[in-house]
Amino acid sequence: MDELYLDNIDEYVNDHNKIVTYKWLSLTLGVHVNTAKQMLYHYLDHKRKESGAQLHATYLVSGKFVDNGQTSHKVSVVREEQLEDFKSKMNLVVSVHVYSVQKALLKDSGPLYSVDYDAVRENLKTCSRYSAIRCPSAVPMSSLELQQVREQQQISTSHHENKKPTTNGDTSLTSKPSTKAPKGIMGMFSNKPAQKNHDGSAEVKADPPVVDAPKSKPAAKANPMMNFFGNQTTKKPDKPVKEEEPIPPASTKQQQHSSSKTAEKQEAAAVESPKDVKADSRSKTKRIQDSDSEEERMEKKKRRRIKRPEPDSSDEDVIPDSPQQTDTRQASKSPEKEAESAARPQQDCTGGKVRKRRRVLKSRTFVDDEGCIVTEKGYESESYSEAEDDVQTSKQTPKAPTPPKVSNKEEEKKSQKKSNASKGTKQASIMGFFQKK
Amino acid sequence: MTTLTRQDLNFGQVVADILCEFLEVAIHLILYVREVYPSGIFQKRKKYNVPVQMSCHPELNQYIQDTLHCIKPLIEKNDAEKVVVVIMDKEHHPVERFVFEISQPTLLSLTGISDTLLSHVEQLLRAFILKISVCDAVLNNNPPGCSFTVLVHTREAATRNMEKVQVIKDFPWIVADEQEVHMQEPRLIPLKTMTSDIVKMQLYVEERAQKT
Repeated sequence: MDELYLDNIDEYVNDHNKIVTYKWLSLTLGVHVNTAKQMLYHYLDHKRKESGAQLHATYLVSGKFVDNGQTSHKVSVVREEQLEDFKSKMNLVVSVHVYSVQKALLKDSGPLYSVDYDAVRENLKTCSRYSAIRCPSAVPMSSLELQQVREQQQISTSHHENKKPTTNGDTSLTSKPSTKAPKGIMGMFSNKPAQKNHDGSAEVKADPPVVDAPKSKPAAKANPMMNFFGNQTTKKPDKPVKEEEPIPPASTKQQQHSSSKTAEKQEAAAVESPKDVKADSRSKTKRIQDSDSEEERMEKKKRRRIKRPEPDSSDEDVIPDSPQQTDTRQASKSPEKEAESAARPQQDCTGGKVRKRRRVLKSRTFVDDEGCIVTEKGYESESYSEAEDDVQTSKQTPKAPTPPKVSNKEEEKKSQKKSNASKGTKQASIMGFFQKK
Repeated sequence: MTTLTRQDLNFGQVVADILCEFLEVAIHLILYVREVYPSGIFQKRKKYNVPVQMSCHPELNQYIQDTLHCIKPLIEKNDAEKVVVVIMDKEHHPVERFVFEISQPTLLSLTGISDTLLSHVEQLLRAFILKISVCDAVLNNNPPGCSFTVLVHTREAATRNMEKVQVIKDFPWIVADEQEVHMQEPRLIPLKTMTSDIVKMQLYVEERAQKT
């Protein structure tokens, strides 16, 4: 290969200030991805020896990682500074290669995705033309087969949960499950009738405030499998948004309270890759897309990527993490307290609705001797019953119980109703005094 | 992105909407990339099918939205020549100016537009976003404690159009000081240009030679 490629890359990086990823390079120059990777490596090497040109690079590392006895295969994009550190943490490094070269130090990995987006979109049907991943049995389905599969899905989704992946056929499996990841999380609460049963089971598992990590993990794992039901197209999926991929694993990992940031990222990739390893030939095609997975989350708390306004609420329901648990516990305490305190005054009252007489300040309007209309205020005795006050004061009580209503436990709802009722009777005696002045 | 149909004659509004959406994303991204605010307030969102960083801070978001809401009528009438995002240091001297020069072709007709789904425009805007993300390479670091402001350069005396919106929104605009508009020893760094059927836009950065 001639030396022109060095000049080409130099032009892209320095003159155009582009981010040159190996994938983009292979599609632009029309070379195999492995060649592109080598080109980038040589360029980097050359430039570094030549002058202290300020170049930054990111690397793709994949290998085996053991965490608490669990072995997993991790694929990550890491910055050059973190490369050695990352490699040292892995048990077995399967592959390391240059992912991209750019002049600017990237603060986050978003642009890495954007760079490839247009190039892949233009070559959508043939974007794996230069790739090193092959699966001979991955053949696009004909439209007839596709229709049959769709019909099958619509009829028998509720019965064949576990067998579904095999009946779907190869190409829908090659399409990334996490391209539907937002639907996967949404899928837990989606409106699709096909997924209702699964949603129900997933919700039951996910809802209890004390979440068992193993329980929720199969729930989250089942969801990507359920994603296959949503996959009804054979065409190569649009380049998946990278940050969508770690969402289902990230949600499960949150519950496990992983300690360090890097550990979290690694586990995010780890949970994803064991799923992939399950499917044999499919995993290979997935891996090329896995290789684009994120490596860093800038902020630990920002696991949820807000793509649409809705996922917020559903995410919180799916991920009953500790803040919400404490909220529900505190909320459950408060209505109970109110119920107790309210119960006591209730016992003090003579009980029931008794008609009483009281003096009330009322204004009387009349015409006096000179023909003027006079309004006078005076005390008059009036009979009232507690029932009237209940109605009036109940309007004011709903304010207090609304914070506890955030939780969705039935017991708390009952206690709310109790506190509501008991508050009404309690306040009747106090509010009745101030009511009519 | 709206689809332009024959019935959709209010072309100016469509272009203004697109540009204001884009400017909002661009401003958030500039704030993130140039570290005007700590990166903790930003979160990843999706625009034009690529990840972008937008802030979560409600007041900042409201400020940016109000700003663009007032600019929109100017863009509709093609009165806005430049929209400038100025980053200033603690003494309120401009340190960097991101200038978006906007021009719309004057003779607009729907038949002349081939890109009715505006997907080409989306692609161009995506390229702008990408360029902003990597502008770090060509710019020096800013001193700490910077703030930002948005200036609009209008053609002629177009501010009377803005007054109506200002009164409604209670978001007053003032004429900018010389100090904010002019920068000492500026260096010009072009970032990106786009030409499309509906709008032409150019983004360049003016940077002060000595920042600290």
